Amino acid sequence: MKRPVQVTLLVLGGLGLLHASLFTDLCLRYVKEGLRPMLIASGALLLVLGLLDAASGRGRGDQGHGHDGHGDSGHGHGGHGDSGHGGHAHSGHDHSRTPRIAWLLFLPVLSLLFYAPPALGAYTAAREAPKAVKEQEHFDPLPRTSPLPMTLTDFTTRVQQDREQAVKGRSIRMTGFVTPDKRGGGWYLTRIIFSCCAADAQSVKVRVYGKPALPADTWVAVTGTWHPGGTLGTRSAPAALDARTVERIVRPVNAYTDDLPLAPSR
Amino acid sequence: MQKTDTRAAEAEPGVAVPAATADGPAGGRRPLPWPLLFGPAVLAGPVLLLLVRWLDEPAMQAWRTVCLAIVVQALPFLLLGTALSGAINAFVPARVFSRVLPRRPVLAVPVAGVAGAVLPGCECASVPVANSLIRRGVTPAAAFTFLLSAPAINPVVLTATAVAFPGSPAMVLARLLASLATAAVMGWLWLWLGREEWLRPAVRHTGHQPGNSRWTEFRLGFQHDFLHAGGFLVVGAMAAATFNVAVPRSVLDTFSGSPWLSVLFLAGLAIVLAVCSEADAFVAASLSGFSPTARLAFMVVGPMVDLKLIALQAGTFGRAFAARFSAATTVVAVLCSSLIGGVLL
Repeated sequence: MKRPVQVTLLVLGGLGLLHASLFTDLCLRYVKEGLRPMLIASGALLLVLGLLDAASGRGRGDQGHGHDGHGDSGHGHGGHGDSGHGGHAHSGHDHSRTPRIAWLLFLPVLSLLFYAPPALGAYTAAREAPKAVKEQEHFDPLPRTSPLPMTLTDFTTRVQQDREQAVKGRSIRMTGFVTPDKRGGGWYLTRIIFSCCAADAQSVKVRVYGKPALPADTWVAVTGTWHPGGTLGTRSAPAALDARTVERIVRPVNAYTDDLPLAPSR
Repeated sequence: MQKTDTRAAEAEPGVAVPAATADGPAGGRRPLPWPLLFGPAVLAGPVLLLLVRWLDEPAMQAWRTVCLAIVVQALPFLLLGTALSGAINAFVPARVFSRVLPRRPVLAVPVAGVAGAVLPGCECASVPVANSLIRRGVTPAAAFTFLLSAPAINPVVLTATAVAFPGSPAMVLARLLASLATAAVMGWLWLWLGREEWLRPAVRHTGHQPGNSRWTEFRLGFQHDFLHAGGFLVVGAMAAATFNVAVPRSVLDTFSGSPWLSVLFLAGLAIVLAVCSEADAFVAASLSGFSPTARLAFMVVGPMVDLKLIALQAGTFGRAFAARFSAATTVVAVLCSSLIGGVLL
């Protein structure tokens, strides 16, 4: 890989990371919010590295880093790089010759800048078993607001574990995207949650009754009451909702957490 | 090497144009070459369209998202690791390590294992650091122990484990002990059976050469190591994304019945999923159908062996090493976690 290509790769990589983390919310499609400062720092670092390399390359010309002087130091390192693996001349000497494998870095870099894939959605959610909800012993009384905003996890936990049956008869509002059921015509209100990056994605689903399914991946806010079945407050109760209204919303910025809605994504 | 690249790039249009003009007089009634020259350009449109449509299939989109997510998530840690490794190479004199570590390699191994606790972050950072430790004269056995233990026993990972398994501190303890044991056993195993020639020759070099500016050397080494490891990271991320998308989690339940099979199965799953070590506890917690020992195996194997790590190790230490080392680590990790999981959980 030639020096100008390396400079291009480093600069584009830096710009890509900054674009995804500093100027837009793109990075939230792929990694957790907590990584953002590290991504911004990494982007800046790559950019600086690329610019430094460009600047020093112009000043130095073709004297090959001035490494010529220590060929007599008895290491025989010049020979290692050329034998076997193509061009891997390592050990702090001919660093301008980066192995060809580095070309692969252009794929994620360009993809991040120009062709960013969308957040994980209905395709992934439909193929995965829903995330197990945590055991919870004590439940605080629900606020009196109506309709009451709730997360999908909270709702599932309340329905299956709250022996006080506090959700009974309450009007509840939840947001998520549409995942059509492969068997039959029903659909699930879904959120994909990850704890670090999209590779560890898990999903929470609530079955919705009473309203026809919108296209997959549509973000909606659903208001309704618990769909009766089994015994409320035990494992036999289904995490399901009888929908009264379903309205389309803009994809929220915190799409990968199961939190109450904040702001639409940039 | 870079010359062949540019030559190949130049060759492509060079081949295409004569082919088109050669077909011209033979195939068409009109001997005008220009419509045939337009041919590839016109064809390129639909091909590109088909390619974009294929890339926008839900499965391909999910694959691209997961692949990009793994790369983006790992990049800061890879940068941190290469920066540390570059700094060790250029600024830390070799005598520091010989003073800190016990002289005898057998004793240096467990010390290096415990020292893994100081490098916070995920596994991508530890590969370049271990590489630079070897270059600074640390015995490879100790460096490999550090490589294995650092991503598994650092405070960030242990805290995440405690959060993911509330109310079962035994799981955190079991993870700590099993990871340390695996790392130490692998170090001793290297002392016993390891051969220097499995390592790529470059690894055996020392870092700073007199006569160079340390800063320039640091910067160039950093840049080289990052680009090099980054390429391998992309390979690993692609492989991991393929399994991540192709293996639906719902098939897992079929294996959860048998205790022995489930340990092996989750160990294999940890290898192909390549979940970051800070997050794998949450994934393990969600595999509720499996026994605690199987989930422990998932968390012990994951930070030590997975597809992106194998790719990174192959790039840094050479393929001969990566294959042997990963296979041995998997076996040792499964044994250690079964043993410790059987006692503690």
